[in-house]
Amino acid sequence: MDQEGERLVRISRTFEAPLELLWRAWTEPDHFMKWYGPRGFTAPTCEIDLRVGGRHLWSMRSPDGRQMYFTGVYKVVVPMERLVFTDSMSDAEGNLMSAEMVGPGMHVTMDVTVTFAHADGRTTVTVSHVGEEHARTGWEQAFDKLAAMLAKA
Amino acid sequence: MTKDPLSLTFSALADPTRRQILARLADGELSVTELAQPFKMTMPAVSKHLKVLERAGLVVRGREAQLRPARLQAEPLREVADWVEDYRRIWEESLGRLDAYLKTMQSGEKRSDV
Repeated sequence: MDQEGERLVRISRTFEAPLELLWRAWTEPDHFMKWYGPRGFTAPTCEIDLRVGGRHLWSMRSPDGRQMYFTGVYKVVVPMERLVFTDSMSDAEGNLMSAEMVGPGMHVTMDVTVTFAHADGRTTVTVSHVGEEHARTGWEQAFDKLAAMLAKA
Repeated sequence: MTKDPLSLTFSALADPTRRQILARLADGELSVTELAQPFKMTMPAVSKHLKVLERAGLVVRGREAQLRPARLQAEPLREVADWVEDYRRIWEESLGRLDAYLKTMQSGEKRSDV
């Protein structure tokens, strides 16, 4: 695995659906709101300005009614192939949350890459994400080493 | 930016000596003297590293005036790791819901096509 891969969290899933449907599910708010969020959550709002530099602002509501907003900017938009966007917790207007507001760690901006691949009528979507700060400082490797050392201790 | 706890954690972890200090503290409390020995470092140099780790909340110092043994506090690390894990789960479970949604969407489309 390449070095970049070691820092990335990668999730992959294959769907019994055509590529075009997956692309629409990720890029059209009406569809996105139907599936975004963990089990039991809903996605009450979603704005997507699908172009490089365009903003997204979507939210999820937990079963106990807590609403969380996430915003970011599209960096790469290649239809039916690839989306790259940033993602950070924000308020309803899209102002980023500070660590003081959401707690340490939770204010980290994630770099999210979504790739779409189809074969035999099925479509595989891969989501990978890495904290921007992790990438910038290489700290996560340090963290991994430390975690390994602590585990051995 | 300097007040940001996560940045403090990052910069504290960026130094190999400080990571070694943390790893040694995983075995238990150590005084500055004990910490200084294997590093061939002066005690003030070790104290300086400990201050950085303390500010990042990774280490707490005892109150005993003389020794002030240092103790590992892994909470800030856990908070970062927990969030990465929570964030991963958001997408993983979302993709599960997407699978279910696509099924209803496709059956709906087929019906309307007919």
